Amino acid sequence: MSIQRTEARVADRSVQLAPPLIQMQGIVKVYPPNVLALDDATVSFADGEIHALVGENGAGKSTLMKVLYGLVHHDRGEIRYRGRPVRFRSPGEAIAAGIGMVHQEILLINEYTVWENIVLGAEPVDRLGRIDRKRARGEVQAIIERFHFALDPDAIVADISVAARQKVEILKLLYRDVSVLILDEPTAVLTPQEIPQLFAELRELRNEGHTILFISHRLEEVLELAERVTVLRKGRVVATLPAAQTTRRDLAALMVGREVLFSSRRTPQASGDVVFAVEGLRYEDEHGRVRLKDVHLQVRAGELVGVAGVEGNGQLELVNAITGLLQPTAGTLRVAGVDLTRAPILERRRYIAYVPQDRGRMGGSLAASVVENAIMTHHRLNPRLTRWKGLLLDRKAAHHFTDELAQRFKVSMPARAAPLRALSGGNQQKVILGRELLLECPFILLDQPTRGLDVGSIEYVHDQMLAMRRAGRSLLMISANLEEIFLLADRIVVLHRGEIVADLPVEQATLEQIGRYMLEGKA
Amino acid sequence: MARVLNAALGVLIALVLGALIMLAQGYDPPASYTALFQFSLGSPYALATTFKNAVPLVLTGLSAAIAFASGPVNLGQPGQLLIGALAATIAGLYLDLPPLAMIPTLALLAIAAGALWSGLAALLRQAFGMSEFIVTLMLNIVADYFTLWAITYPFKDAAAYSPMTPPIATSGWLPELGDWNSAVFWMLAATALMWFLLARTRPGYEWRIGGQNSLFARLGGCPVDRNFILVMLLTGALAGLAGGLLIMGGPHRFLRGLGANYAWDGVMIAIVANNSLPGVLAYGLFFAAIQTGALGMELITAVPSEIVMVLQGALVLVIVASREALHQLADRLAARRQAQRRAKQAPLLESVEQP
Repeated sequence: MSIQRTEARVADRSVQLAPPLIQMQGIVKVYPPNVLALDDATVSFADGEIHALVGENGAGKSTLMKVLYGLVHHDRGEIRYRGRPVRFRSPGEAIAAGIGMVHQEILLINEYTVWENIVLGAEPVDRLGRIDRKRARGEVQAIIERFHFALDPDAIVADISVAARQKVEILKLLYRDVSVLILDEPTAVLTPQEIPQLFAELRELRNEGHTILFISHRLEEVLELAERVTVLRKGRVVATLPAAQTTRRDLAALMVGREVLFSSRRTPQASGDVVFAVEGLRYEDEHGRVRLKDVHLQVRAGELVGVAGVEGNGQLELVNAITGLLQPTAGTLRVAGVDLTRAPILERRRYIAYVPQDRGRMGGSLAASVVENAIMTHHRLNPRLTRWKGLLLDRKAAHHFTDELAQRFKVSMPARAAPLRALSGGNQQKVILGRELLLECPFILLDQPTRGLDVGSIEYVHDQMLAMRRAGRSLLMISANLEEIFLLADRIVVLHRGEIVADLPVEQATLEQIGRYMLEGKA
Repeated sequence: MARVLNAALGVLIALVLGALIMLAQGYDPPASYTALFQFSLGSPYALATTFKNAVPLVLTGLSAAIAFASGPVNLGQPGQLLIGALAATIAGLYLDLPPLAMIPTLALLAIAAGALWSGLAALLRQAFGMSEFIVTLMLNIVADYFTLWAITYPFKDAAAYSPMTPPIATSGWLPELGDWNSAVFWMLAATALMWFLLARTRPGYEWRIGGQNSLFARLGGCPVDRNFILVMLLTGALAGLAGGLLIMGGPHRFLRGLGANYAWDGVMIAIVANNSLPGVLAYGLFFAAIQTGALGMELITAVPSEIVMVLQGALVLVIVASREALHQLADRLAARRQAQRRAKQAPLLESVEQP
């Protein structure tokens, strides 16, 4: 189906559905100085529907919802809510009007109980102005029962799972009588096992008359849960479709503006010698807690190994032990036959290319120019970039190197001298990826290499990784996205409480099985 | 471009504020400003004096700017300047070489002494994790009293009534070329050299990146601990050189109160210049100009020279405060322009439910 035809069909539908509960018309938002986040976006939401918003990163989904929620103020356009024009100056006003939003980051007080967190800021008080604890707890209990949320109101938030915390966030809004719930990527923090329950609860809410708007990256979830789907691309609404009449492939094509391949492009190939090997790796932090426990891991030449695990189960420590940011308590690290267990970082970097998960914190300096970001590490290892025994930077060589990198990795940038900050997330990642791959190390460590990237950039990063695999490098990828691991990896390794609880060829693993290992460890 | 606008705006507002205060006190602002700039820029001699007075401001400003841009919070310029001055003085009292050897020797000793003083703070940080921010500040007080003791007891000029050393050997005096003291050339050379070091060399690159994002530099293979020590030594050396040149170019002896407020002005200049080295030179010269002209102004119009403190304060506040504000204003204007452009291209649709 062509994109144009889909868009045309949408126009018909919006007329049928009037009058909508919320209508956003011609919304324009420019983030100072010149980032056009919403470009004349028009969309409407019906009362009592589950409506999904999909789009690449930077397509404007979150911004559109933040505009509705009063967190971001639009420059142009009109919002009608229950037939009346509205313009919320703050989230407080939106909540008072019955519109609430749950953000990606969960913001709760860990030491408080569930019910205390829920009533916080809207506590029922007695005549003396004291919090009426009994009434508050009772009200929370009633809401939990009404919507069939499996949650203990007296549990301390620090002790409950991420999924339960997310429920607390939703309940906070329900406690404030919100009828329109906006959820920003609610499934991003959940394991595959936790998602069905969230969906059941959201359907329950819808059946009770609530309207649910949810932002997601995961198209299969969108199709499962939502009644209608709105696709945004580059700040514009390109389509609103009934979920029953569309497919994942259609949505992806609308999001990107072209066809996207979903199947694995990994071709079988025989792997070579062991390049990367950690043995008996153990790390205890300063409080004596064991963060890594007897980790054995090998990656062969031409092999890509994916590390799965719920965040905080030792991934960070494993990465830091490899890069040299932390010194393991016991164990060895060898790359290409060289013992790097106690090597300084620069020595490691001769053998280890490293694409970190946090571009602005570890991958680059946002204030420095593209050139200065591109030559990092090369300036020490590549003698062509310096003169005079390495003391002077060769500016011409640095510019040449940057141009080469930009060309090879298709970086689009305003100028070489522009600060890295001025580039889009995808282009920043290309600079970092290009820099690391050009180091030509036998081993490549990638920590969440596609985090926060749009579909097009993700595809690009994946292609580059597969090209490196074909070229006989060994790759170790840590990813929170199981699909990504299944798409790319030869082997999948699951970390649970600092231990490797599974190490399987991808062909022998299933999503459910890996999800169980992630949550429960060794069976 | 925005930086120049920011500076011009800051200077203008500071001058207007100063004028208002003078008016309120019953003085004549135009006549006062004319005198101020007449005595700082109006003649070759005045200009040369302004440049000479800028030397300690610019050198300590470079020291602070390089430190802040590279990460270490070295706030020990006042102490490093005094220790540098003391080293040059003592050597000048006991050595007498031909000027061609004497001047570099004294300068190098001042540099080494300043580096030693900041190196002490770097060492304490490396060995015990003590914050260089606190240690350098505390060492200022140590340097203050140590130099006072040195010029009151062991090195005191027996003929003097107040704490001061005898003059150093004349071979260590910086030569004057007409009205121009050669300390000025040391200052210009140091600025150029430091700019080159930061902008064009590998250590400078690593320092700057480390100052922006230390974790990134570390993961990239830069020796961040060694770079920390190097920057501390270098910035101490610059402040020490400021002290040495102060002795060799000026009173030729260590007097009580020699350090005055130079180093704190230098820190302020680095902040105003946002750690840009050419900016340090420009603001250092401007601060020196109003400080130099103040005495002339007092002479002609009876406006107390302290008014330049008001001007300096206003300048710092206006420039630092308006830097961010100007950025945001420019950003917001650009955003509005773009929103309007988009609106023109795609006029708003009529509301669906309107009849």
